[in-house]
Amino acid sequence: MLTNRNDAAVELINWHFEIEPDVTDIYFVNADSDANAPIILLEVSRSTLATGSVEPFSFGSSEEIPFTTVIAEVTPSEFAALSKNPALLPKGWSLEKAERFTRPAELG
Amino acid sequence: MNPPRDVWAKAFAIQARSDFTIYRKLLGESDVAACHRLHYLQMATEKIAKAYRIRDTTTSEEVLRSHVGFSKFISSFVLSPPLKLEYKGKQAQLRGLLRDAKMLAGAIEKLAPAIAPDQTPQNTEYPWQEGESVIAPCRYSFPNLSMLNESGGRTFLKLIERALRDFEAIQLA
Repeated sequence: MLTNRNDAAVELINWHFEIEPDVTDIYFVNADSDANAPIILLEVSRSTLATGSVEPFSFGSSEEIPFTTVIAEVTPSEFAALSKNPALLPKGWSLEKAERFTRPAELG
Repeated sequence: MNPPRDVWAKAFAIQARSDFTIYRKLLGESDVAACHRLHYLQMATEKIAKAYRIRDTTTSEEVLRSHVGFSKFISSFVLSPPLKLEYKGKQAQLRGLLRDAKMLAGAIEKLAPAIAPDQTPQNTEYPWQEGESVIAPCRYSFPNLSMLNESGGRTFLKLIERALRDFEAIQLA
């Protein structure tokens, strides 16, 4: 069990890069939140459906990742729009303090 | 006072479960046209995606009114912590499941008449024009969803059942 929130987030992010070949970047949106806060991930995917909005889904914890996890996928162009206009982000979200993870080169 | 969002989310999950039960029942009825069972599958998937979305309180009301969402939901569900634990050491299997799920979810989403009617007019409710003909949904076989009858499709349906079942079993912290 990964009781450290940052360790759990990194484990989940690495898993996502491994399973989803179309994810290029993952933003740990609330990396600076307190130790029990949900893990919020904004994922940039080349193959997700463009909807023009951010649609976060909340999932429960597991024995391994004991944190509520919120995942949202956007296309690269949607992400570009969010970067230019942060008002399009869900309320309470900010990219300013988000930690960015890029797809490891060895995963292609 | 308006009911809180978790009450709405639970109601959407209950209705999704009921829609999926009807889909399963219609699968066993050989004299029922494919459009009817696929209509219930489309409604079940749309509602379970909304249930998970509504309980995230950062989602705007406008987004909640949209039909589109199941494709994005199923990708996120496959990548969620409970599925990660279940598929530990079976990454290749999960990658295959994700690939099939995204393809099928996109096709199911387009069954709603409001989604991309110009590009994919084939839907489960209303007739559409094809050349000089007009096609009734009950006379159409939806060949793009024939995979639902194959191994990958059956695994995908189990994934939906898992999402329906887990909604209330997994409490958010």
